[in-house]
Amino acid sequence: MTFSQTWLPFLYLYGVGGIAFLFGLFIILKSNALRHNYQKHKSWLWVLFYGYLFYAAIHAILIILAVGSA
Amino acid sequence: MENIVGTNLDRVVILMYFTIVMGFGAYFGKYSRTTSDYFFGGRRFAWWLITISIVATGIGSHSFVKYSTKAYQYGFSSTMTYMNDWFFMPLFLFGWLPIIYYMKLGSIPEYFEKRFNRKARYIATFMILMYMIGYIAIQFLTLATALYKIYGIPLMLTVILIAIATTVYMHFGGQTSVIFTDLIQGFILIFAGLLLFTLGLNFLSANTAYGSGFEALWNSLSPSEKLPLANFNDPPDFNFVGIFWQDGVAGSIGFLFLNQGLIMRFMAAKSVNEGRKAAAFNVLFILPISAIVVSNAGWIGKAISNAIPGALPADIAPNEVFVSVANFIAAPGVFGFVIAALCAALMSTSDTLVNASSSVIINDIYRPLTKNKGSDKEQLELARWASVLVKVIAVILVPFFNSFDSIYEAHGWFHSTFTPPLVVGVFMGIFWKRFTSSAVIATFLIGAFLMILGQIYPAFISPFSHGIELRPGRGYSYIGALYNIFVCAGVGIIVTFFTKQSRDKNLNGLTVFDVHKLKMIFKGSEVNEIKGETVLVNWELYNGDANIVRFSKNDMGSMNAKKGDLVYLEDSRWWLGGLKSIHGTFGEPHDKDGIVQINIDQRDSGQFLEKLTLKAEKEM
Repeated sequence: MTFSQTWLPFLYLYGVGGIAFLFGLFIILKSNALRHNYQKHKSWLWVLFYGYLFYAAIHAILIILAVGSA
Repeated sequence: MENIVGTNLDRVVILMYFTIVMGFGAYFGKYSRTTSDYFFGGRRFAWWLITISIVATGIGSHSFVKYSTKAYQYGFSSTMTYMNDWFFMPLFLFGWLPIIYYMKLGSIPEYFEKRFNRKARYIATFMILMYMIGYIAIQFLTLATALYKIYGIPLMLTVILIAIATTVYMHFGGQTSVIFTDLIQGFILIFAGLLLFTLGLNFLSANTAYGSGFEALWNSLSPSEKLPLANFNDPPDFNFVGIFWQDGVAGSIGFLFLNQGLIMRFMAAKSVNEGRKAAAFNVLFILPISAIVVSNAGWIGKAISNAIPGALPADIAPNEVFVSVANFIAAPGVFGFVIAALCAALMSTSDTLVNASSSVIINDIYRPLTKNKGSDKEQLELARWASVLVKVIAVILVPFFNSFDSIYEAHGWFHSTFTPPLVVGVFMGIFWKRFTSSAVIATFLIGAFLMILGQIYPAFISPFSHGIELRPGRGYSYIGALYNIFVCAGVGIIVTFFTKQSRDKNLNGLTVFDVHKLKMIFKGSEVNEIKGETVLVNWELYNGDANIVRFSKNDMGSMNAKKGDLVYLEDSRWWLGGLKSIHGTFGEPHDKDGIVQINIDQRDSGQFLEKLTLKAEKEM
């Protein structure tokens, strides 16, 4: 399997998508929409990071398994 | 009628399903007493109720057909569209959601008027209505395509019967009916999808040499079929980069920020935080499960084809993968149940869109034109008839969509035509204060013109193609979304720099930069964020103001509440999910601990029962 089948889509997804994600985080933190010193909001900040890593991990594991089965 | 599939038992199961859902939905009509109840369910539901009902909205009948087909053709990468929604969650959870909730927006077009001007609202109303009604027509068409093969009645008659069936509970129930029928249908969808998966795995296990169904599935697919993401830019009709821009960007923003049905669902949550929980849980846990639910028939079908050649017809048509595989692995009756899940998908998606469309008709056409002169009762009646009108138009549109080569093409045409200008308009409106009214109208009109140019002359899209091959005579497919977003955003940015900025006071509470003060705007006074306890109380009637509820001094002390703070009062049985609840304002305290005083209207609105305790919590 080629790079464009396996890791290129992954890097593009979490690279370009990651820019959108970080831009969103930056805006809501800068505008105080998410107050990092407010306990309830602090938990949400962790949830947001967790979600990003959760999906990245699922996709990475499946790619590794698929490549391993080739 | 040729190729009729299923047995009489299947037909009976499907009919029973329709009957039960219609009765269930009609029952909840009693909870719709005002237009607020009808459209938003009274802003009272718990996050878990909203989550499950969102599942049923997100999975349309076309989802089963569409994703099973892609799963059969390309394997696990069919899940891509269900697993790329997280990137915009920060902006949704802490930008858009608080704005729509606390500014009490009745519709997306209303945002355009508040943020820009009335002209922008009318253009947005037209585009959103066209989008939603067309979407409903596609849902009708998809289900009718499956059902008319089972019942052997003409396609258009099947469409009309489906429209009538969904009208029954929608007409009387509104948003509360939608939420509760979608709750049931959400469970049915997931259960039926996972049941089909289990049956498929059992079939594979029993008919191959592998020890388990999972092992058989995994080993029966080729390595490329196991990849979770499609090839980067090939083939032209299913590639990663095109789908990323069409679905991961335009689709995700469109779904989260512009789907009026979804927005109304979040408006029905009892608080913004409950809405956040519903959205996060949905994307983190329910969407991956949904991806399996809608795709597995295709994976199983492909694994059967690879492992047991000849078991399935070699010339199976892509659009028939779901029905063919389900009919092949499910016993009579079970197949009927699986098709009933397809019905559930149609009904739950279309009822949400119909309710949303009638909301737009009342909020964005009737109220502005009549200057809101009609009584709430008249508007409620009109809303019910508007939902009938929406379905009639949708039925009339079905032959138009049936003229496309496939349902996918019709669906794709919709997304590419109506979503990008709205996506750019709302997105830049929320996150860029400088974005002007002239710019948003230019985005709608000039942006749409440039998009049409791109459809006619694919050479315009070529610089954005990422190396995707141009399909002769058919142009580019998904990657056109990147071009559409680019031209709409480009027009918006350029026109903004050459036009005058709106005055700041017009934007109060309408951009992400004001989210921190939205609670105060919503409450109308200083927000009380001191944490308090939840208290259990019994209720008694008193002759008080419409929105005032009265607690004892001690109970208010436990809640850390002051006079004028907002309170949420609900039946203490958690499993009702807030169905029996009200919002109110703390009035002068009394001296009877454990008692809350409410008026008759509040009792009726909350449907509170004698001798049942209520749970009270201070909101802000």
